[in-house]
Amino acid sequence: MLKIIDLKKKFGNKKVLNGVNLEIKKGDILGVIGPSGCGKSTLLRCINLLEKPTSGKIIFEGNNLVDNDSLKEIRRRIGMVFQQFNLFDHMTVLENIVLAPTLLKIMSRSEAIKKANELLKEIDLEDIANNYPHEISGGQKQRVAIVRTLIMKPDIILFDEPTSALDPEMIGEVTNLMRKIAKEGMTMIIVSHEMNFIKSFCTRVVFINDGIIKEDKPCKELFNNPESEDLKSFLSKINAY
Amino acid sequence: MKKLLTIIMCLVLLTSCNKDKEKLVLVTEAGFAPYEYYSNGEIVGVDIDIAKRIAERLNKELVIKDVAFDSIISEVKTGKSDFGAAGISYTEERAQEVDFTINYSESRQVVIVNNNSYINNINDLYSSKIAVQLGSVADSYITEFFPDAELIREKKFLAAIQDLKDGKADAVVMDELPAKQLITDNMRLLEEELTTDSYGMIVKKGNLELLNTMNEVISELKISGEIDEYLLYHMGIKDSTPDNNNFFNRIYKSVIYDGRYKYILEGLKNTLLIAICAVLIGIVLGTIAAISRNIYENTGHLKILSLISKTYVTIIRGTPSTLQLMIIYYVIFKQTSINIVVVGALAFGINSGAYVAEIIRAGISSINKGQWEAGYSLGLNYFQVMKKIIFPQSVKNILPALGNEFITLVKETSIGAYIGIVELTKASDIIASRTYDYFFPLILIAIIYLIITLFLSKLISTMEKRLNNVKNN
Repeated sequence: MLKIIDLKKKFGNKKVLNGVNLEIKKGDILGVIGPSGCGKSTLLRCINLLEKPTSGKIIFEGNNLVDNDSLKEIRRRIGMVFQQFNLFDHMTVLENIVLAPTLLKIMSRSEAIKKANELLKEIDLEDIANNYPHEISGGQKQRVAIVRTLIMKPDIILFDEPTSALDPEMIGEVTNLMRKIAKEGMTMIIVSHEMNFIKSFCTRVVFINDGIIKEDKPCKELFNNPESEDLKSFLSKINAY
Repeated sequence: MKKLLTIIMCLVLLTSCNKDKEKLVLVTEAGFAPYEYYSNGEIVGVDIDIAKRIAERLNKELVIKDVAFDSIISEVKTGKSDFGAAGISYTEERAQEVDFTINYSESRQVVIVNNNSYINNINDLYSSKIAVQLGSVADSYITEFFPDAELIREKKFLAAIQDLKDGKADAVVMDELPAKQLITDNMRLLEEELTTDSYGMIVKKGNLELLNTMNEVISELKISGEIDEYLLYHMGIKDSTPDNNNFFNRIYKSVIYDGRYKYILEGLKNTLLIAICAVLIGIVLGTIAAISRNIYENTGHLKILSLISKTYVTIIRGTPSTLQLMIIYYVIFKQTSINIVVVGALAFGINSGAYVAEIIRAGISSINKGQWEAGYSLGLNYFQVMKKIIFPQSVKNILPALGNEFITLVKETSIGAYIGIVELTKASDIIASRTYDYFFPLILIAIIYLIITLFLSKLISTMEKRLNNVKNN
């Protein structure tokens, strides 16, 4: 479904991605781990075209997204959930969710409102539909952000550190929602520092260091039998905490 | 908003075009009694009387334009006015720029000092402080022949007299006739005159047709003795209010006597009209400039428009607004007879646009990058994100700043006097030129400016509160 070939990204003279190759199949729950600054967030942002890759290909359902502006609308089929939620601060929760589907004429406004209310109800957030983002908790914000992505019926959702801006007691409600979506068959790529969550949730994990993929294995195997020295030292540092 | 704009535009257009009889435009600076000065809301004086006779001869309607003295020659040179008369003395320098008529009046340059002054003859002037009117004969004469004297150049000879009263200057050099009108009990004239010069009117170089008619009329008036009659008449008309200088009488003289509040009302109308039109023009230009740059920075489109916008903002913000006003009036609108208030509104609007552009740019960039990214990631394009997500949020930052820009603009319009717009500041100047008392007119318009700006500040803070209540965060 998504194939990344020799993806490179430079910021000025700084090489962040040094040739990433990766293939994602439908239903994959892919975890992306690695030390700070290794390029994992940049990888995610390149897939969504928030960053323009310096070279390489991103092939999504047969189309190369790189250097093809007309395919930018494919973005709606690649959802993204941000660390800082990025809800539209001047709109209510409900308006946040219905904005894109109505603007892009995917559904009528009344359909969108109906659908949004259904989705909110499923996760017990129907009470805050008319609240503004600053009136709700971080966990609620992130769940609304996920719903805002879901209403676009994406083929794949990218999660960029979805829980790291949350207070500890709110992490659970977000991860539970993610598990629920995964169960329904969604393809996901998750960048996270929550090793326990990655361990218990992902079907496959890649370890990135210095802008390239060092290891790409089923989840358990990667954590139980790390091969490269980089991964071993990374895991030992994390376990120390 | 749209309705308001239309109404204002109509008003401006109406005032700018009502053509019937062919016009003859005279440019002067009406603060030089008895040659030209304001009385009862009108510009009158010896020069005006002569000009009326010239207009009669040509069967044209006389239109009088009041500008700063140092703008008169460029007015005539550029053809914005047909002729100039403001007690202008013949000099070689001026004669290279414009053509002079024959003399219609002679004046001696005299020296005014305080009664107790140490200056008793011309020789004492060499190292003294001398106040003159900028651009007058006295100015060039003193500059040339008294290089060691400290020269104080005032825009008005009244201000020069004020300098003498205040002790800032030791002497004032000016024409004898108005000097005799201005002199108070505490002052005296030196017996010796400095130099004698003669006044002519000026026309654009090569405009022989007009020049010949003017010479004809002037020589007739000279022979018949009418010019002397005019002089005597206007010298006698000196401010006839009682010379009682108590507080209330000074207010009365500054505001009520001779319908002087009319100048203030006219000034207030023009100040507000220019400020409102300018802010609307500024918003249109500023929005175009800011958005085109933002589009280029985000999408790579509109490169040329963005470049133009950037240049526009750089030039306007990097040059004095007075200069911009003069360039627009004397260079760009050189040949047209467009209403001066319209020119003012346009000039201030173009100026304001650059600042509005930066206000909008700052407003847009104050919005977190994550808001753009969230919009893009949902599949929205630049315009959708801008319209629905970024702009509505930046309005909260933009509106109060725009309000402040409007306040600045209201005050800034005071430089419109440079090109002869009768706005508030010019209005106070006109009144002071009749009462010889700067204090009340200046304080009065200061209070009016303050009331306007306080009202606007109040409006802005109410608006800010509302925005905060509605949009929150």
